[in-house]
Amino acid sequence: MRVGFGRALLGLIVACLFGCTGRGPAGMETPQRGSGGSATNLAAPQPEDGQWVMPSKDYESTRFSGLDQITPQNVKNLKIDWTFSTGFTHGEEAAPLVVGSTMYISTPYPNYLYALDLNNNGAMKWVYKPGTSPAAQGEACCDVVNRGCAYSNGKIYYNALDGNTIAVDAETGHQVWKTLVADLNQGQTLTMAPLVVKDRVLVGNSGGEMGVRGWVTALDTNTGKIAWRAYHAGPDSDVLIGPNFKPFYAKDRGKDLGVTTWPPDAWKIGGAGMWGWISYDPDLDLIYYGTANPGPWNPDQRPGDNKWSCTLFARRPETGEAIWAYQIGQHDPWDYDGVNENILVDLPIHGQTRKVLLHPDRDGRMYVMDRATGEVLSAETFGYVNTSTGVDPKTGELQVVHEKIPGFGKTIRDICPASPGAKDWQPSAFSFKTGLLYIPHNNLCQEVQGTQANHIAGTPYVGALVRMYAGPGGNRGVFSAWDPVAAKEVWSIKERFPVWSGTFATTTGVVFYGTMEGWFKAVDAKSGNLLWQMKLGSGIVSQPTTFKGPDGKQHIAVLDGVGGWAGAVVSGSIDARDGTAALGFANAMSDLGKYTTRGGTLYVFSVP
Amino acid sequence: MRAADGFAQSALQPAGPQSLHIYGLWHLLLWVAIAVWVIVTCFLVAAFLRKRSSEPGTSETTLFRTVATAVAITVVTLFGLLVASVMTGNALASRSFSNPISIEVTGHQWWWEFDYDYSQPGEEIITANEMHIPVGRAVIIKTTSQDVIHSFWVPNLYGKIDAIPDHVNTIWLRADKPGVFRGQCAEFCGFQHANMAMLVYADPPDVFARWEQQQRANAAESTDPVVLRGREVFLNEPCVLCHTIRGTSASGVAGPDLTHLASRSTIAAGILPNTLGNLAG
Amino acid sequence: MSSPFRSKNRIGGAALVATLLALVACRREARPLRDEPPERSLDVTARESPIEPGGSKLPDVSMKSPAEGNAASIAEGQRLFNWYNCSGCHSQGGGGMGPPLMDVPFTYGNEPANIYQTILEGRPNGMPSWGGRIPEYQVWELVAYVRSLSGNEPSAATPGRSDTLNKLTTVQLK
Repeated sequence: MRVGFGRALLGLIVACLFGCTGRGPAGMETPQRGSGGSATNLAAPQPEDGQWVMPSKDYESTRFSGLDQITPQNVKNLKIDWTFSTGFTHGEEAAPLVVGSTMYISTPYPNYLYALDLNNNGAMKWVYKPGTSPAAQGEACCDVVNRGCAYSNGKIYYNALDGNTIAVDAETGHQVWKTLVADLNQGQTLTMAPLVVKDRVLVGNSGGEMGVRGWVTALDTNTGKIAWRAYHAGPDSDVLIGPNFKPFYAKDRGKDLGVTTWPPDAWKIGGAGMWGWISYDPDLDLIYYGTANPGPWNPDQRPGDNKWSCTLFARRPETGEAIWAYQIGQHDPWDYDGVNENILVDLPIHGQTRKVLLHPDRDGRMYVMDRATGEVLSAETFGYVNTSTGVDPKTGELQVVHEKIPGFGKTIRDICPASPGAKDWQPSAFSFKTGLLYIPHNNLCQEVQGTQANHIAGTPYVGALVRMYAGPGGNRGVFSAWDPVAAKEVWSIKERFPVWSGTFATTTGVVFYGTMEGWFKAVDAKSGNLLWQMKLGSGIVSQPTTFKGPDGKQHIAVLDGVGGWAGAVVSGSIDARDGTAALGFANAMSDLGKYTTRGGTLYVFSVP
Repeated sequence: MRAADGFAQSALQPAGPQSLHIYGLWHLLLWVAIAVWVIVTCFLVAAFLRKRSSEPGTSETTLFRTVATAVAITVVTLFGLLVASVMTGNALASRSFSNPISIEVTGHQWWWEFDYDYSQPGEEIITANEMHIPVGRAVIIKTTSQDVIHSFWVPNLYGKIDAIPDHVNTIWLRADKPGVFRGQCAEFCGFQHANMAMLVYADPPDVFARWEQQQRANAAESTDPVVLRGREVFLNEPCVLCHTIRGTSASGVAGPDLTHLASRSTIAAGILPNTLGNLAG
Repeated sequence: MSSPFRSKNRIGGAALVATLLALVACRREARPLRDEPPERSLDVTARESPIEPGGSKLPDVSMKSPAEGNAASIAEGQRLFNWYNCSGCHSQGGGGMGPPLMDVPFTYGNEPANIYQTILEGRPNGMPSWGGRIPEYQVWELVAYVRSLSGNEPSAATPGRSDTLNKLTTVQLK
């Protein structure tokens, strides 16, 4: 009877496993992690539930969809289902969220939050208007954008430009709480999409060009009270560096490095905000994010390594305690913010499966790092780079090219990549099907003349005159597929303008992205061949998403509305005769106005 | 009232090896010039006093010889002076010191910014118009300017060195005895060029170390209500647009750094004594 | 011995000297080191709208700028424009965080009195209010420089040399 008992036990265990995948009926589910699964193996995607509850799709920031109705074969028949005009025409950088049968979009200033009914062709369910202060428009460096909202436990969380983090009831549209976290008078604004981890809403500030003091703040999801705040410069107690802090490299170890690597008091106005992306590994219980550039841009005014600017942090979400940190670029002289996304996957590196994070940085290098320890496994260039020659494998230090460092009394030309980097905020996507990373990015170089930056709180603190132009090849943008294991590019598509939109990949092998002229494109994930494209009303700088509608069909949503830093020439009506306008982008984008005007419309597609 | 009263400002009182070289050259030039002048005057006087002779004139050969001799002596003398000048220049440029202090001097219209560089960025000292240097230790001075050409000139310690925008000139100097030396701008730079002075304090090493420590500290806190009211006015008024006081939110760099202003003996680029009356008016 | 100073040469020489003296006596524009604050009219300041109710228009009694057309003031304005971080938001006139200043019309008017008020009062959509932070004579210098960015100052008075990476002169703007 032992054999029978064993079989029964086995059957019981198997039944439990099937029943315990933790997924309930599709609807207003609280995602435990990712999109609702409990798989611990990040070599495979999260189970697909047809929703898109946070801009990065899941905590691992893969932006990978398991929906399989749209394929390389039928995508050529993609048609518009319905559209919705947001009513605003500044840069639309958000990702349309879908929870159940409702779509949520946050707009640029004045930061309205719309809930659209997917059962009724996107008709408005409600709109929430936060009353954002108009003066905030004068403190936002790079268009008055908003990069999206996040859903958790019946509430939508997002940021308003004037420094408020807001929780709105997802069903009714009523405000649950609103907390002022950033000081507008000091030049701080909020543009990023928050991340909700357990009972913490994680928010970071903008203002690296305004001489602010950068931080990440966690608010309680229910009350909106501040649970912790980690500054990115200053004494260890402010940076939440404690006894468990174990940076992998010696260069990041020491007491109060956030003070000693700056001239006296310079860290108080040293920038290093966090306006980009946060990822979360539930097994290691670590959140990952990178900090922004040090201020001012002119490096001669702040000798020293300037920790903890341009630094990747791994922290505990409950307390904010730093577990490890890696400063990507010490004493950054080129505005290479470290805020780009960190994609968490398990990959075979040198024959061993490692828990890594993939971080395509502004400096043009694809950092593949062990996400448990902070060790750099590789840092190959994914664009044309002449500001650094590599990362020293022993010390982890970026080997910079000194001739390309700007400063007082010199004009340095042909700095590649330019300040927006080989890739700016626009997030890439990982496909578990092809194993490739799909990167929307830039091909820009620049010249920089150093000037003296005077610090007046609430006004820009830059100290550099910049003019950007196209990099080698003449194309200002690229959309490429990168093999993270082989650490090289597989295919790429040249675009006239920087590819400032986000992207996502489907399990069927289709990848979508948008150009600043307004072309929304679908390409084959394996080969890069163009499968479908449509010209939308305005340039695209938003993050497209895909979802399963209440009709059971797969749909794709994207916002048009050119803007952001790259599109400021059009969205901000900048006079491009002054090439240094928009921090140098005006020179590179002076012809954008010939291809697109302003816009702000949501499009939803499907294959009929 | 000029703060120059009581402060040394003379190239003829060298206080260090660099100005000593210049002083030596100056003396050489002076005595050679005196000698030449005496000799030439003697010949001139002799020429006036000589009786007219009945002969038609000096012979061609004698004339030629006399002129040639004079030219030769002149050339040799000038060549000698040139050699002396080049040797002085070499001596000024040669560096054979260790453990120098490095100061970046930036000329502004119309004040001097002194930026002390150390290996640790947290030890940097920024001050204005009053420089302290340790006696007996080499000081590397790097001059530049934020607007027009100025010239850094502390005659007791060194000659004039231009402060040129977008360009760095480097010299070194040393004070071998303690004292206070006045310097001024030596390149016309605008309306207040004549009022752009500075003071250089050569302190014994222990006094200098104390000064460094004091300068690195943030502005002192106070509980005096008058001081607190003044602080409130300072931080809420236009002052913060241009000035820095470390330890407060004032971080402007367009004007002089005012942290530890009370430790300076003069204000207004060395022109006025640092008194309450002058500061207020 | 004949004298070189014959009467013909004497008259010619005197005429030459007189001409030279006249040329030397030409004065450059006045360089005010510190302006007196202008008299501010208590009743009416600059209008930001060209339409007035009632069908007719009242005479313009807005403040006059003491720095109009004055090269020294415009050069000072250029220095202050960078010093006070105006260039941080408006770049060298092309705009960025703030609107461009090279194109007319400006949102809030580009008469000197309009720009003066804009700087002192701030504007709702992000222009900070500098009132009480900058002395009035400096505001007029900034006003003159801002107007030169859109080619509204005489080209003889505007800074000719481009001190920055890419700044257009008044001649290039027209």
